[in-house]
Amino acid sequence: MTPYTGPWTKVEAGHLLRRTMFGPTNQQILDAVTNGMASTVTALLQIPAITAPVAFHPDETIAAFGSPWADSVYPSDPIAAQTVETARLMSLGGWAMDRINSEQLTIAEKMCLFWQNHFAANAGLDSRATYDYHVLIRSHALGNFRQFVKDMTINPNMLLFLNGATNTLYSPNENYARELLELFTIGKGPQIGPGDYTNYKEEDVAAAAKIMTGYLVDGLRSDTLTDVTAVFTPILHDTSTKTLSSHFGGATVPDNGANEYADFIDIVFQQDEVANFICRKLYRYFVNYDLTTSVESTVITEMANTLIASNYEVLPVLQELLASEHFYDTSVRGALIKGPLDMLYSMLNGTESVPGFDLATDYEMQLNIYWLADTMGQAYASPPSVAGWPAYYQEPSFSKLWVNATHIKTRFDVSSWMSLYGGIPVNGNNWELDALTFLDNLSDPSVAATVIDDICDVFTPKDVDVVQKLILKAILTNSLPDFEWTLQYNDYLANPGNTAYSDPVKLRIQLVLSRLFQMPEFHTI
Amino acid sequence: MLNEMKIQSIGKKLFDVAGFAEDRVLVIIRLNGGNDGINSVIPIDQYANMTIQRSNVLIPQASALGLTTEVGLHPKMGGMRNMYNDGKLGIIQNVGYPEQNRSHFRSMDIWSSGMIDNPPSTGWLGRQMDVDFPNYPDAYPNATYPDPFAISMGYETSSTCQGLMANFSHAVNNPFDVYNLASSGVLDDGTYYGSHMDYLATLIDQANAFGAQINGAANGGSTLSTMYDAGNPLAVQLQYVAQMISGGLQSKVYVLNINGFDTHDSQVSAADTTEGTHAELMKRLSDAIEAFQDDLMLLNLEHKVMGMTFSEFGRQVASNASLGTDHGDAAPLFLFGSCLDIDIMGSNPVIGNSVVNQAGIPMQYDFRDIYASILKDWFGVSSGEVQTLFEHSVTFYPLVTPCGVGINEEDLAKEGALIYPNPATSNATVRFTAGNEWVKIDIYDINSKHIAEVYDGTLSQGRHDIPMKLKDLPIGEYIVQIKKESGLINSKLMKMK
Repeated sequence: MTPYTGPWTKVEAGHLLRRTMFGPTNQQILDAVTNGMASTVTALLQIPAITAPVAFHPDETIAAFGSPWADSVYPSDPIAAQTVETARLMSLGGWAMDRINSEQLTIAEKMCLFWQNHFAANAGLDSRATYDYHVLIRSHALGNFRQFVKDMTINPNMLLFLNGATNTLYSPNENYARELLELFTIGKGPQIGPGDYTNYKEEDVAAAAKIMTGYLVDGLRSDTLTDVTAVFTPILHDTSTKTLSSHFGGATVPDNGANEYADFIDIVFQQDEVANFICRKLYRYFVNYDLTTSVESTVITEMANTLIASNYEVLPVLQELLASEHFYDTSVRGALIKGPLDMLYSMLNGTESVPGFDLATDYEMQLNIYWLADTMGQAYASPPSVAGWPAYYQEPSFSKLWVNATHIKTRFDVSSWMSLYGGIPVNGNNWELDALTFLDNLSDPSVAATVIDDICDVFTPKDVDVVQKLILKAILTNSLPDFEWTLQYNDYLANPGNTAYSDPVKLRIQLVLSRLFQMPEFHTI
Repeated sequence: MLNEMKIQSIGKKLFDVAGFAEDRVLVIIRLNGGNDGINSVIPIDQYANMTIQRSNVLIPQASALGLTTEVGLHPKMGGMRNMYNDGKLGIIQNVGYPEQNRSHFRSMDIWSSGMIDNPPSTGWLGRQMDVDFPNYPDAYPNATYPDPFAISMGYETSSTCQGLMANFSHAVNNPFDVYNLASSGVLDDGTYYGSHMDYLATLIDQANAFGAQINGAANGGSTLSTMYDAGNPLAVQLQYVAQMISGGLQSKVYVLNINGFDTHDSQVSAADTTEGTHAELMKRLSDAIEAFQDDLMLLNLEHKVMGMTFSEFGRQVASNASLGTDHGDAAPLFLFGSCLDIDIMGSNPVIGNSVVNQAGIPMQYDFRDIYASILKDWFGVSSGEVQTLFEHSVTFYPLVTPCGVGINEEDLAKEGALIYPNPATSNATVRFTAGNEWVKIDIYDINSKHIAEVYDGTLSQGRHDIPMKLKDLPIGEYIVQIKKESGLINSKLMKMK
């Protein structure tokens, strides 16, 4: 791909960080400008280690408060086990949100959401398996796609979600086999004959189901086993030799027991269409929904070539894409509407707002954001179908599907609560936007026009209209001359800890943020 | 279906009529989770075998509220029993679809879309609205269509109303909420960014406009029944619906939701099978619907509104060991309103004398045919047009009476004109065709005395629905006379209290 060689200012750096992170701060954008594109891209493409979710809810009766539950058993009584499961699910939801809220300069969380959307399995009956599924996603987030598909195929949460765990010699279940081809690897092309979807045929689905027979899941909600595992059971495996269709060159897959699924996936990956399929998805997620003929013949082809040349390693593809001329083209800036999680955490992360109370309160607060995102159409561990969220794939509307006349009101209401009306109350504490700290960390908080420029640079993808900026500045200065703001801000600096000076400053910046979050500019990325 | 709205707004301008028979509303209540049909509509003649299959959740026969000698309701459904006795509750037995999918999600997609083989992204109502209102949401709302086409109570739009480009339903958690979102003057500069900015600006305007209409209707409407229980969330939402309808909101569909039907365990209380989770749900459902119907009667809106419940599946015949039931197949569906043409349609499910692993209730009626019949008879969509919305060959059932509905073109041609409802109480509509000609409509009593003039003017080519205000007319028989250049039509009208 043609590398980007143009200017490298806050505009380009902000575009890169907003697309690869949930909500960069002003400082992160400034650092990216200083460090340059290449080194910022390299820094983004690293997946930091994380800690496991911990017990915080009183219904968690097995794991001790504050300690991980992912290796704990369940109570024997099914109703008690369900109660514990609910507590674990809440822990998982809070943990996922906390990861996004505490992201540093890394593409990790955006990649995890990408893969959660790609291998769109819901949280299952056992949160330990759901957690393992998320760990698997993270471990392969920028890794080898072929190996990722293999590991996902025998992941217990996925085996349960798409009935792989009931796919046996005696009663083959095609559910996973079908999605593996249709949604996870090669994709469904136009139907060109009876049961022929260009890239594969119905007979391949049937053969793949047989190939993958014999995996069961053990330990589900167990009161003795501390882990949910996939167990290969030879007597349930179909040992016949399976023959694939002409789309796979009529390849045969002889019995290979527990590893047969991997043999099959290797055959599928011999088809270059797999690379095209996943690169289109990456493009739609990171760049633009519109796959024009020219994008298809240049960008997608080049991404796919890189993927194949690197033996299906994902990192080199993104390294090239994020440093390409096309990625920074003005036509694709602001080309997507923010999803609910993007909208919520760009607001929170951009203002460096974290709960910072006690463990249980922090989890509960993150969970509140989880449910808000759910209300707005994006529950992290629960995509609406195995195809993922429609906004990522549904033609012709794509990201427009994130908002409707109802959701726009919810977005506005939420941003008002967070910035102005006390935020999210839990256990007597309120999590609201840290407007004052945000202001203090801008490049020159005492100059009204600079404050507004900085805010727009952080939160909007393109130049904000000068009239809109004037409106924002008038809100900041309460329509007084600019120097009055400077005086007020300097008084606040000179009187640390005195709320008589800090409160008015805080209110003005809260009002500005509240207004900004209600501008369409903020809702695009 | 909804294209009649144009006529209503003309009618509103020409006549000072409080309500319109044509202005029909469908209220849909979704029982989320899969309702246990056998414990809702109890097959009284199957008790011997039910005892074998589901003794731990079985309602004692003496407690069942008998509707007929063979069919009873759950003991908590006294409200719906009263409605049945008043002819305002219809039961369709064993509704489902071929090869039932027992996944909540997939099955709910199927029920929402009305498609089985490839549930599309559009809903069954959304597809019809796409036909009636192409290019939605651009240019909506407008002067002719100021209101949302459908209301979904809560925060989510309803997937039954998903159209190709947007969802036709507007989510309303509380109609008294004020919408005052900052509008935006952004312009579409032709870029991807510009198109999205324009789209968001449209949504903001739409939210404000719909919000104002809904506020206006809620504040202008009223609710008269004293039967609503403020502690019953479904009742509260139905009361909001009554408030919006009586306030003149022209939304055609209201979708409500009640959660908690996935009763794998503790469906009934161990001590008393007439109590427990399911009993509480049935009580809420039944009480809320009874209060709503009572309100509609008091508001004189009964002829305008009908309701329907649905659930993604029924539950298995045999209960499990946890005092619960697992995902099954077909289940009964309730219709309510004063214009029903059925009481109980279909037969009791036959319960076998031994447990068959995972057996559900086989389907007798395809839910898609219920939808189709409602579209045709309640909303007046032609049968040909209805057929295009579904992938199977549609069978129509007479579910609603010509309470102003069920009018087909053949009847119209034969009769010359149709009056509905007939008998009527306060408002009725006369439907006829005209050919771009002068038309005069008058009401006479049986002694040929002129009582009222309804219309005098020129009407365009096509079918027309002219509302008539009958509130002040004494009870009795009348003649509605339509004088056209092309001929004279006399139709009888019965005015009731």
